[in-house]
Amino acid sequence: MARYGMLIDTRSCVGCYACLIACRRQNGLSPELSFIRFEHRERGSYPAVFQEVIPLQCMQCAAAPCVLVCPTEASYFGPDGLVGIDHGKCIGCKYCMVACPYQLRTFNEELGVADKCRFCAIQTLVGGKGCTCVEACLTNARVIGDLDDPNSEIVSLIESKNALPIAGDLTQANIFYVR
Amino acid sequence: MNRVNKKRATDTTEQTTGSAEGTQSNPGQANPRNTRVNTAAIPLAPYEVEGGAAIPLAQRCPEKTISRRSFVAAGTGAAVLAGTGCLGLSTLHQAHAADKAAAEASQLPGPLMRHSLCGACSNQCGFTAYIVDGKLTKLVGDKANPGGAGKLCARGYGYATIASSPDRLTHPLKRNLDGSFSQITWTQAYSEISEKLMSLIDVQGAEAVALMHSLHPSVSFYGRRFMAALGSPNVYAYDPPGNLSRNSGFAQVFGADTFLADIAHARLVMFVGGDPAEAVLPATLSAMQSARKSGGRIVVVDPRLTTSAIFADEWLPINPGTELAFLLSMAHVLVRLNRYDQDFIAQHTVGFEEWAEKLSQYTPQWAEEITGIPAETISRLAGEFAEKAPASVIDSAWRGVYGCAYQNSGETGRVIALFNTLLGNWNQKGGALLYPRATFGQLDATVFPVPTATGERVGDADYPLVWEEAGSSAFAIQAAREGRISAMLFYGSNVVAECPNPDYLTEALDKLDLSVVIDVQMSETAQLAHYVLPDTSYLERLEVPEIVPGKKPTVTLRDKVLDTVYEDTRPVDEIFSELARACNVGAYFTFSVEELADAQLKTVGLDLAALQAVGSAQYEGAPFAYGSLPDIATPTGKFQFSSEACVQAGYPASPEWLPPRVMPTGDRLRLIGGEQALCASTVTIDNPDLMEVIKKYRLTYPWIHATVAQRLGIKDGDEIELTSDIHSGRTRVHVTQAINPTALYLPSYYGCSVKELKEAYNVGLRQMDFVPLHLEMGYGAAMTQEVLVTIKKVGA
Repeated sequence: MARYGMLIDTRSCVGCYACLIACRRQNGLSPELSFIRFEHRERGSYPAVFQEVIPLQCMQCAAAPCVLVCPTEASYFGPDGLVGIDHGKCIGCKYCMVACPYQLRTFNEELGVADKCRFCAIQTLVGGKGCTCVEACLTNARVIGDLDDPNSEIVSLIESKNALPIAGDLTQANIFYVR
Repeated sequence: MNRVNKKRATDTTEQTTGSAEGTQSNPGQANPRNTRVNTAAIPLAPYEVEGGAAIPLAQRCPEKTISRRSFVAAGTGAAVLAGTGCLGLSTLHQAHAADKAAAEASQLPGPLMRHSLCGACSNQCGFTAYIVDGKLTKLVGDKANPGGAGKLCARGYGYATIASSPDRLTHPLKRNLDGSFSQITWTQAYSEISEKLMSLIDVQGAEAVALMHSLHPSVSFYGRRFMAALGSPNVYAYDPPGNLSRNSGFAQVFGADTFLADIAHARLVMFVGGDPAEAVLPATLSAMQSARKSGGRIVVVDPRLTTSAIFADEWLPINPGTELAFLLSMAHVLVRLNRYDQDFIAQHTVGFEEWAEKLSQYTPQWAEEITGIPAETISRLAGEFAEKAPASVIDSAWRGVYGCAYQNSGETGRVIALFNTLLGNWNQKGGALLYPRATFGQLDATVFPVPTATGERVGDADYPLVWEEAGSSAFAIQAAREGRISAMLFYGSNVVAECPNPDYLTEALDKLDLSVVIDVQMSETAQLAHYVLPDTSYLERLEVPEIVPGKKPTVTLRDKVLDTVYEDTRPVDEIFSELARACNVGAYFTFSVEELADAQLKTVGLDLAALQAVGSAQYEGAPFAYGSLPDIATPTGKFQFSSEACVQAGYPASPEWLPPRVMPTGDRLRLIGGEQALCASTVTIDNPDLMEVIKKYRLTYPWIHATVAQRLGIKDGDEIELTSDIHSGRTRVHVTQAINPTALYLPSYYGCSVKELKEAYNVGLRQMDFVPLHLEMGYGAAMTQEVLVTIKKVGA
């Protein structure tokens, strides 16, 4: 079993939204649906200003509140470290949306279900490079890989760049940020 | 299992560059366009990505990953997935997986893959389109394409829905007296347009007719040929944010319209008013990252903190419009300290002594006053450029600030080229590269007879420095107002919304006896036309190939990816060919676009089928080598510190300081604009995917500096009234530290006034509404930032 995670290097993110739009296109999502959200931070004062863009998406948490609160087991811990959402079981109660501390669940009006980033799981399984957002990133700021494989690129990058989950060990998130 | 597919699934690192018979085609197929491949066998990214990131997970950690092969070997792949109901998949994805597994097991056809070029902006990045049931399901950047280098931007992914947009033009339209439009047939359109054209030419001559066209490959061939066949020299190439001043200024120095900074190998590179993350150039962004990895320094000179400045070591928030003063003083330091390439200058240049003498007045202290950049910074940077030369360079800033912004933009272009000349960095590793000119060979004149138009294009005498391949679009409109041009054809050129002073432009267009707009959607310009002809979208047509110069030249191709969605739309080659036949010049259009493309490609040793199979292919053209210069196409054959043509046009022989037309004072701020990562021009604004993000992240909001906001009692998100001498409008505002306090940044292309464009209509303000139309002396550019504005809080 693998434990998939992602590294996002905000020091390489130009905030171009290519990941978001590519995700919509390749996953066939409607324009109302975004699996990625951006936070913008401005620090310092003129002319020593720094603008940071932080892309956020389902953190595939090992201690995911959305799974814990789901009354129908529509949200579940899948293998390979992924947090799944079974649309067939979802009753659209939005409990998970309230529970997610990152506010990264989004409501799919088309299907009447709570939706989220799926780490483009299929592509990973068929031996492709991984997520659409990783592939689309203009500056290769995103890396996906197996956090349990000590020889993987992502593990060595997390170590060398001192990447951390966005909120420490709050939910044992599997997305690591370089900031 | 098909052996070819199997190979492709495992060998994702194979390069396709350099051969017309790359790995994208199935070698066994005669016509690669019809090649169907198995979905599950398609690697997500068919190309290697720098840094080794493309190694598939399956190869990196084989014991951890379910590979495609083991997945299928389980025999019932679909059942496994559906049965476990896990793996983090939605039910939709499970269904998708089941389809794929079934397709793989039974060898059912997967998606069709075709290569093409993006149509969102004029960089035209190459991509592979995946088509399922006639629908575009996915786009993957083509690594072999030099501009995109394997990537597409948000606009590229978003704009791909244009083909099926409900807001498209679907039938030829004729404008009624009350300004409304009636649907007509193509036959009626051709016959009425040709009749009017012919009668105008009979009375006023062919010089009264003009064409303005966007930078797509086919129109550049067919449109120009059509005008030549009519006998008119009046063709204007149109690209919204404009490189006109830059190209024209560069041409005065080295006889070509641009150069490519060798950023990846540079030890110091400076961007002056250009942002490859907003005027998106994926290859340049990648080169910036490479430069940083190898220890190169990046400096950004821009009134606004650009998004790509995340890769910069230094941001110099220059007073907008004073870039020329900054550059002159940088040159001053090099010359004063004798830190320029004396051998290069002795061998390859003319006029250095004269300029050197003038430069003595432009001290860093002088420039500090004007630019706001400290004198020490200027001296330090100039020294650093000299120290790192020839691996130091100022970038050419595609669609950047000296493209068409100020009355000193052309001269700024000249000085940037001359600064690089002082460094002696031309065609040096890490310097400024001039690639050999690359063109297709001569075609058989019996099959492709060549029409020639004599006479001089309207505007060229008035603006003698204008880059000859473009011409002054802004002047063409003025000429229409003055009656020198009485019929205009526009191909995808929304000049009314993208050039200064739409009210003035509207009046000018109203004066035309005949105006025809060919476009995909209704536009501000099309609304004023007598006839509007519906074009196919960029996804629905084959165009003629184009050559991108490089270390080896690359041929790229926009191919037909989708079948025609709206059946009454027609591709550009057909429209001009049919119009030509109606105008009795059909003898010049007796070939199909396929025949033309194939004939052009054969002149460089390729053919259409081979290029369609790979999308982009290199060929052996004139060789490029570091250290050797191509022929310099200036009148002197050398890099020109002084230009006779500039003297003729009223400029000094070698460039001097020329202040902008207007300068900010007190609360009068300079209105600066630019494109955004989500908005290339008015072409891409009517897109639901892009517009949702634009609204959500308030990307239409103008930026003002925090001290200005405080002085005026304005807070972030407040509604303000923005006023210039000619226009006033309301919007909400973004208050930031990341902009020069004398500037107000307003993204250029919002404020759409076309009701038919339901997504874009009335969202944000339009920069050009605020800008008066004046043309840059000699260069003929539209000076889009020569305007001051005041702001006040609404209700205060």
